[in-house]
Amino acid sequence: MRAIPLLTLLLGGWFVVPANADEAQDWLTRLGQAEQTQSFHGTFVYERNGSFSTHNIWHRVQDGKVRERLLQLDGSAQEVVRIDGHTQCVSGTLIAGLGESPKSAARALDPQKLKNWYDLAVIGKSRVAGRAAVIVSLTPRDQHRYGFELHLDKETGLPLKSLLLNDKGQLLERFQFTQLDTADVPSDKDLQAGPDCKTVSLEPDKAEALKTAEVWHSDWLPPGFELSSSSSRKDPETKTQVSSLMYDDGLARFSVFLEPLNGATVTDTRTQLGPTVAVSRRLTTPQGEIMVTVVGEIPIGTAERIALSMRSDATAAKQ
Amino acid sequence: MSREALQESLSAVMDNEADELELRRVLNAFDDVETRDTWARYQIARAVMHKDLLLPRLDIAAAVSAALEDEAVPAKASRGPWRSLGRLAVAASVTIAVLAGVRLYNQDEIAGVELAQQSNQPALAVPQVKGPAVLAGYSESSEATGPMANGVLQGQPGWHDQRLPSYLRQHAQQAALKGTESALPYARAASLENR
Repeated sequence: MRAIPLLTLLLGGWFVVPANADEAQDWLTRLGQAEQTQSFHGTFVYERNGSFSTHNIWHRVQDGKVRERLLQLDGSAQEVVRIDGHTQCVSGTLIAGLGESPKSAARALDPQKLKNWYDLAVIGKSRVAGRAAVIVSLTPRDQHRYGFELHLDKETGLPLKSLLLNDKGQLLERFQFTQLDTADVPSDKDLQAGPDCKTVSLEPDKAEALKTAEVWHSDWLPPGFELSSSSSRKDPETKTQVSSLMYDDGLARFSVFLEPLNGATVTDTRTQLGPTVAVSRRLTTPQGEIMVTVVGEIPIGTAERIALSMRSDATAAKQ
Repeated sequence: MSREALQESLSAVMDNEADELELRRVLNAFDDVETRDTWARYQIARAVMHKDLLLPRLDIAAAVSAALEDEAVPAKASRGPWRSLGRLAVAASVTIAVLAGVRLYNQDEIAGVELAQQSNQPALAVPQVKGPAVLAGYSESSEATGPMANGVLQGQPGWHDQRLPSYLRQHAQQAALKGTESALPYARAASLENR
């Protein structure tokens, strides 16, 4: 009988879970494959500073084709339908307005590469949407990116919950399934876009766009971030040519927008919306003043430094 | 009994130098909350000096008293198996009280992920910026001037107002086109439109 309090003590004290990097890698590999192989449908919530929304998702993998439909359930009925990662239609205010440059093919999650910039570890178990999950943490090795905590479904490897954390461990955003069904394959009807979903067409002048954007480069980039796409488009409202470059480290992403000011007087700004930061800096080039805006899920200091490091190759050639 | 004498006795007990009389004095006075607080303060001071692990406010005495109060009747009534069961229950309650105390206190020190999980809500309530940005109420704003007008960009209405929402949207949507975790960037993009 005396042993029982001791047992209570032992059980109570058991909350240390050993971390295992290899295991974490395996789980991330499974996560990478899961969305290419697993059909599912479910409901998830998305929460960030100042915003909370609920969404339905239908995801079907059939004959090697991935069809996906997302629909916001509260507020405006925002909808996206995608086939193999290509947006077919969008609704509401979710204006696509983007060409898909040749480089924009979806990149699979590469744990080997992520390992260079994040410490990967399985840190425990949890239960999300009534399903058993494994918690994988991705802790940044430097101050230039945020940490992730992923709760992956034990059965399928799908991400049931994803938390973005800053360097102080504060939560920046939460993505979490409340219900997930991996047994039933979504029907054609489920995947059928609603009447308000507007078909997206690719922009015609892709080659031209690429050339303009590639005039720009950054003198400094946080380690591990690489250019994943670049484009240039004329803003339909302001009639100015805006170049955009997108960089990623395999997980986190940021975009750089470059727009000629044409004499407008604009001050530098910094803004943060939940996980997303936006930093604007003026840059003086021989062609006139350019506003450089960095937008992405990276710390504000890093964004600032990138904004200050953008250079025009055209300028360099002339000097 | 004077306060000073008691405090001296407390100090002596803590340093393991109390004689029988002092120990008795302290034990008699220990029902008093003030005495226990003094004791706790002395412990903190000593822990700081010795750089020990410290468990302030962990009032085991109170927890034991509470547990005893709950248990008193069955333990006294019969001397049979109930008695040992009662004692067992008391022991278990104390164990749990100690564990709970240790865990609650240590949570302050656990850094990183675990802390983040515990402090989700407060973290969300606090705007994450140090700069001039005004974020609270961004999504609630339905002004025609656009969300960025909320004090962020006074002085140059228009330019950023016009550009930033469009940039944010482009970034979110471009991100949604890539990567395998397609639902997350989509949700980010959608959240920008919820105004």
